[in-house]
This record gives sequence, structure tokens and C-alpha cells, in this order.
Amino acid sequence: MEVLERITKFLNHVLVGIAGVFLVAMVGLTCADILSRLLWVPILGSVELVALFGSVVTAFALGYTQFRRGHIRVDVLISLFPDRVKCVLNIINSLVCMGFFAIVAWRIAVWSTTLVRTGELTETLRIIYYPFSYAVALGCAVLSLVFLTDCLKSLISLKENEK
Amino acid sequence: MSPEWMGIIGIIVLLFVLFFLGMPVGFAMAVVGFCGFWYSVSFKAAIGMVGGDIWSNFSSYGLTVVPLYIFMGYLAFNAGMAERLYHAAYKWVGHWPGGLAIATIGADEMFAAICGSNTATAATMGAVALPQMKKYKYDPRLSAGTVATGGTLGVVMPPSVVLIIIGLQTGQSIAELFLAGILPAILLGFLFVVTILALCRAKPEFGPPGPKTTFKEKLKSLPGILEALAVFILVIGGLYTGVFTPTEAGAFGVLATFAVSIVGRKLKWKGVIDSLRDSLWISCMCFFLVTGATIFGRFLAVTRLPFAVADFAAQLPVSPYIILAVILLIYVIGGCVMDALGFLVVTIPIFFPLGVALGFDPVWYSIILTMVTTLGALTPPVGVNIYVVKALAPDVPLGDIFKSVSFFVIASVVAMIILTIFPDIALVLPRLLH
Repeated sequence: MEVLERITKFLNHVLVGIAGVFLVAMVGLTCADILSRLLWVPILGSVELVALFGSVVTAFALGYTQFRRGHIRVDVLISLFPDRVKCVLNIINSLVCMGFFAIVAWRIAVWSTTLVRTGELTETLRIIYYPFSYAVALGCAVLSLVFLTDCLKSLISLKENEK
Repeated sequence: MSPEWMGIIGIIVLLFVLFFLGMPVGFAMAVVGFCGFWYSVSFKAAIGMVGGDIWSNFSSYGLTVVPLYIFMGYLAFNAGMAERLYHAAYKWVGHWPGGLAIATIGADEMFAAICGSNTATAATMGAVALPQMKKYKYDPRLSAGTVATGGTLGVVMPPSVVLIIIGLQTGQSIAELFLAGILPAILLGFLFVVTILALCRAKPEFGPPGPKTTFKEKLKSLPGILEALAVFILVIGGLYTGVFTPTEAGAFGVLATFAVSIVGRKLKWKGVIDSLRDSLWISCMCFFLVTGATIFGRFLAVTRLPFAVADFAAQLPVSPYIILAVILLIYVIGGCVMDALGFLVVTIPIFFPLGVALGFDPVWYSIILTMVTTLGALTPPVGVNIYVVKALAPDVPLGDIFKSVSFFVIASVVAMIILTIFPDIALVLPRLLH
């Protein structure tokens, strides 16, 4: 369990670091485009690239955000329940989310493989964009892993409570 | 079963998942929307829709505006701009009765023009203003209430994350919404100041005047205001004149805030890293709220429930303003039991088409919804700003903070009534854009 938790934490920290680099790149590219447009001509395909960078920023921050419980949730009622019930609800919650994001990751990965096969390119720059769609699939898969870790942690604490 | 009933059952299941499972709002909307679409259409269509929506939202150029404005706000926050704004406002009005509280509202209003987060504003201003007000023997109820309420100005004053999310969810121009938010935010700030003055007139011991400052001291404090003003004028001026798109304005705002802070040596490397980290998780949370709402909205569209509700309400033999009052009341109650932003995102697919069907201007209606959303940060039991202030002022009982905030809630309600009677307050600036 500890190994899994460490792997999840490490993966999320690496991914959020990459997301930070892409966020700075978004700022840099957009500002360069503004300056270039004001002085000469716009940078070709900058809108396309900023949008693709945005996909990495969000997908790679998904697991980290869940890891630090950053997603808005309603805990008015749950906070009133006994610990055991909270634990059981957390297990159900984690299992549903884990399953959902595993399916989404699989679906986007399958679609990305189709993009590789068909060699689809972006409209302006004519560059491949499957690396970005694979990145979104990876982000969803890591989020699924965070939920798996949460689920196992809740199961362990439930068993310890029973003892 | 009729499709409309399917939609109603979907909403009931969503509420169950939200309240009894405690699933994050964005994920709950996505999961319930996916299951509902699967039941109504097919598994293949549902999985295709979910995968497609997640990819298209994550790689949408329009949505890239979210992390940029949040990053700008957090850079300003970590560079200590809010503190300098407070000290400048304090030099100018601190000697009035209730002057320190008024200075807090003034600094909130100016900081809101660069930072769209109400908790960041409340936390920063609380850390600076609460000790000052304690020093000058302000009644803790007034000081705590002012700090908690002032933070909400960040939601109405552009750049605001709530306005961006409404714009993205309803397909409206973010530039128009930003411009529409300026005057209502100023009106709200003005009414908060009137509330403070009225309270201090009725009970002078609430906010005794602070020490007088010389004109030289006042002038010396101006750079604290100028740096924030420069960033605001660059961002909103660029949007207004059409030089920037909203995304470009956000990126340029980040650069301008960074440059101003670096030149003044106010931003440290740790501050940049903290800003990046906080921006990433907050924008990821916002992205998934929008994505979840898109998926849930697809399911609702299949059931035709939003259109049926809009048709039904439009045919009711009552004034649209009564229906508006009911909608706003629902938002106030909703804001009491769940995070106001989450509640807004969940309800927009139903209430936005309804408002449009009732004949309200979409821009004006969005500003009214934004204003009522701010109350969610102040109402028990989940008023987030109240808890931020409680953490900063542990000696003030929670009940007292809620009580003191109620005066400002009245001011917010008055602002909404004024905005309903004079909708041009919100619409005049976007109209100039055309």
C-alpha cells in the first residue's frame, strides 16, 4: 500500500511540474504572439498550440488536484455521519470515480491510437496532435490511480476500525 | 417514461450522489450525465460523448483563459499587492469613523480588479486589516464582517472566475461580461461603505477614527495603488479596445503583474512556484466543473427538460420578476448547502434558458446570478469566507461573524434590487463595446 501511495504521489508531482512548464509556455507564447502581431505579423498557429498546451495543463493537474482534495464537494451531510459510514461512502465514491476515469482514459487512448493510424494533423500548423490526446488519457488514468489509492486506504482504515 | 421525467430523475440522482456520496461536483455531474445518456441513448454514444467532451473542453482555446487569470491573481497575491493597496487606502480614509473598515472595502475593490478569487482576497485582507482594526479598538463584529464581505467583491469585479465560467457555459462573450461587471461591483462596494458609515453613525464605538495622516504620507502611498491600476487598465483596456482577446488579456496580465512585482522586488521565487501550483489545481477544478456541466447538460438536452421548464415558466401567469425572485431565493438556499460556484454550474443548464425565455437580457441576468452567488460565501453553514475570517480572528465567535455579515447581505440585496430597476448599470459598458 505504501509503495502504491508513493508511486501515485511521485507521478502526480512529476505531472504537475510538467503542467506548470506548459502553463508558463502558454503565457510566453501568447505574449510573443501579441508582440509579434503588433510589430509585424502574428505567430502562425499560436492559438492552436496554446489550446493544445492547455489540454496538458488541465489533464496533468487532475490527479494532483484530487490528491490535495481540491475538487469542490458537498460535505454538509457527510460530516454528520459516523466514521464507519464515511469510510464506506468514500469506498463507493472512489470505486465509481476510478471506474469512470479508467473508462474515459481507455476511450481517449483508443481514439488517440486511431489518430496515429490515420495520421490526422492540426488545421494550421499541420502537426500531429495525438501526443496531446495521449497526455489527456494519461491524466485521466493517473486520476483513476489516485482514486484506487483512496479506495484501498479507506478499506484498510475500515478493517482497522473493525479490529 | 417520458424524457422529461428521465431528466428529473437524473437531477434527483445527482443530488443524492452529491450529498450522500460526497463525490466532487464536477465528477458527479459527469458520472450522472454519462449514465443518463447511456440509459437514454446507448453505451457507445455515451462513452463517445464523454471522451469527446473531455478532450474538446481540455483542448478548447476559449477555456485557456481560466488558468491565465487565476495565475495573474495568485502572482498579485504572492507579490503582496493586496497589502500595499490596503496601506494606501488606510492613509487616505483611515481617519474617518469606520475608516479602517472602509479602507478594507476600498482595497478589496482594487485587489478584486486583478484577482478573481474571493477566498484569496478575504485571507490576504484579513491578515493585514484585522490586526490594524483590533489595534484601533474596532468592534470585532464590524471588522470580521467587513473582511468576510469585502472578499466577495472579487467575484463580481472582473477578471472574475465566476463570470468566465458563466460565459463559457452559456456561450456569451467574456469581454462583455467583464465590462458588465465593473459598475455593479463599484455599486456593491459603495453600498458596503454606506453600510459601514451607517453602522458607525448608529454605534460610534463600532469603528472609532484612526490617526490622521499628512498629505505627504498620502502621496507616498500612491505607488501601492498605481501598480494594481496599471495592470487593470492594461487588461480591461486591452479587452475594451479590442487589442486583446480574453485569453491574450489574461496572458498579458500575467506578464504585467510579474513585471511590476519583479521590478519592485516584491515577488520571490517561492512566490512564483506557489502561484503556479495554486493556479494549476484551482484552474483544474474549474475546468472539470465546466466539463462535468457540459456532460450533464448533454444528458439534460436529450431529455428536453430545460426547454420544458423554460416553456412552463414563460407561460405562468405571473410577472417574470416574481419568477426571478424565486430563482434568486433558490440560489441563496443552494449557496447555504453547497459551494456557490458548484451550485451555479449545476443549475445553469436549467436556470439560464429559463431566464432567457422570461425575456431577461443574458448579460444582465449573468451579473445578477453572479451577485447572488457571492452570498453563498457568506451564508451558514458553508460560507467559506466566514471560516477564513474565523481562522484569522479565532477570538470572534462564529455566530457574531454571521450576524455582522447580515448587514452587508442586506446591502447586496439592495444592490440587486437597484440593478433590477436600472439594468443599464450593467449594460451600459458592454453596449459601448459595440
